Amino acid sequence: MAHFRKKAFRKTQISTSSLPDIVFLLLFFFMVSATIKPKEELLAYKVPNAENLVKPEMKFLIKELVIGFPKSQKLGVTPRISDGKRYMEIKDIAQWATAAKAELPENYKDQMIVLLKADLDVDMGLIADIQEQLREVDVRKVLYRTSESTTDPIQ
Amino acid sequence: MKIRKRKHDQEVNTGSMADIAFLLLIFFLVATTLLQEKGLDLQLPRKKDDTSTSSPIKERNLFKVMVNSRQEILIEGEYRKNLVGLNDEIKAFVLNNGEQEHLSENPKKATISLKTSRGTKYASFIQVLDELKGAYFEIYAENIGLTKEEYLKLKQSDPHQYQLYLKSKEGIPMNISIAEPTI
Repeated sequence: MAHFRKKAFRKTQISTSSLPDIVFLLLFFFMVSATIKPKEELLAYKVPNAENLVKPEMKFLIKELVIGFPKSQKLGVTPRISDGKRYMEIKDIAQWATAAKAELPENYKDQMIVLLKADLDVDMGLIADIQEQLREVDVRKVLYRTSESTTDPIQ
Repeated sequence: MKIRKRKHDQEVNTGSMADIAFLLLIFFLVATTLLQEKGLDLQLPRKKDDTSTSSPIKERNLFKVMVNSRQEILIEGEYRKNLVGLNDEIKAFVLNNGEQEHLSENPKKATISLKTSRGTKYASFIQVLDELKGAYFEIYAENIGLTKEEYLKLKQSDPHQYQLYLKSKEGIPMNISIAEPTI
């Protein structure tokens, strides 16, 4: 009788031993997908290295612009601008900045930060044209995205 | 019966494994997004036609750095092959306080002008800007007795560290001006 009772008790337990496996699977999925995502962007870019990096305190103020080279050769080899979703021309920048500004809360509108993710081979002329457009609509904080270098940048 | 029970006790509890994995998962989720936002910040000048606040800057208060389309560097009218020593020159220029005639009158008036040509590579511009910012950060760090690395790690969200951060910058604004590129 005692023997019978024990067997029945064991069978009703749900095994949780596979739960860590499931969670680890999720973990690996997110680890892999987090590195894959940037490669799906419209433009290819390699940011320059710098040492003295700062990190903005309020992330919601950041709006992103990518300046790089088109991935598909059909689009040529001249640097292009994108906001992550579509290609943009210089003349579109002011309008984009105004629209991005409108999304921010009222008291933070003048503090919008434009994060420029530019390729290290892009000419300063293009960067200056973008900054010119940003100045026109009074968006004056820019952040040049750079990767951290441990070695001395002096050539 | 007794032996069986002991065997049952020896099993390792794997219930907390899920928690540990979740912790790792959350860490990676957060860490991967944080890495994307570091960079060099800069304040652009006002609109071209808005001259209400700008006044001409005295020659001695202006430290000129130029990079041309062949990535050649001109510092204060002098051709340079590399950026060696620029860091110390800027510190001397900003913290001069009127001592030497050709350097700045005081840190508030000291302005660093970085001028590029349209053909200058973005990488060269960042390289110079990095040096300029580095020099200023070193000044700030010295003000509060920290190293530059410690200074850059100060968190503005922490009130005590924010006080230090404000104190370090007192009277020394980071006047880095980006001039219109020449053709």
